Amino acid sequence: MQSTETKPNGPVAAAFLATGIGSLVLGLAVVANELGGDVSKFLAFDKNYGLGSGVGALSGKVTLMVLAYLISWIVLHFMWRGKEVNFGRVFSLALILVAAGFILTFPPVFDLFAPKA
Amino acid sequence: MTLTEREFWTLIHGMVLGTLFLLAFGGGLAGLYSFREKYLTADGVAERSPRLVLGTTVMAVVAWLTVIVGTWIVYPWYRAAPPEGTTDLSTFPRSLLLSSPETAEWHKFGMEWKEHVAFLAPLLATAVAFATLYYGAQLIHRGEIRRAMLVFFTLAFAAAGIAGLFGALITKAAPII
Repeated sequence: MQSTETKPNGPVAAAFLATGIGSLVLGLAVVANELGGDVSKFLAFDKNYGLGSGVGALSGKVTLMVLAYLISWIVLHFMWRGKEVNFGRVFSLALILVAAGFILTFPPVFDLFAPKA
Repeated sequence: MTLTEREFWTLIHGMVLGTLFLLAFGGGLAGLYSFREKYLTADGVAERSPRLVLGTTVMAVVAWLTVIVGTWIVYPWYRAAPPEGTTDLSTFPRSLLLSSPETAEWHKFGMEWKEHVAFLAPLLATAVAFATLYYGAQLIHRGEIRRAMLVFFTLAFAAAGIAGLFGALITKAAPII
């Protein structure tokens, strides 16, 4: 007979929610870049911080995504370590954030934010 | 029969890592779907869980490698701007695509979507890999989490699939040579 005792779900919930946060940040960074101006210049991490050569604003967008993802994962992990959380609710929120990431990285959507010529 | 450096890295990005990702997805999806108490004995769980950990971890690692190689090695060749007065754009894929209204959408829609949506795949796959590493054989008792993993796993595949499909089509329209 197998034991049904398992580890608490907090750390897994943290990983799932951090994925949603990372996805949303990527989507927001894509939209921010479309707005142009100083934000767009800031996102050129290849020129500003030497993160790759010739990658352009994509370097900044994905770096911000990775930072948001890792920082939120670490914070949530320590918040929920050893705890049992409402996984259904956390997963629903993560799915909404991932969906927002998908939508905001879809060209017809982020093009809406580009300055009109 | 030779490959240029650019062709080699494009091949690594699209074919080698892409194929590994697909294989890991197929195995991982089947493993995750059938990782249920009603299908497996205790011995079956013990035998399958390391394979599940391996499959999902490989998928996550491969997803990260694909976007890293794609973004920091291949992409700069794609978006390189031609020097003033260049008439032959065959070695400048982005400019080549944008030079004609018939091909411009491959960049404006295809590449612009691909370069962003691809990054959702490693995030989603990492969450799944972490859950298998964390729970191991205990995952059999966590149906809710296993089902959530299946959703993330499939979304990771969808994101990578969109990127892979456009990658192949764009390479056909304007290869990196």
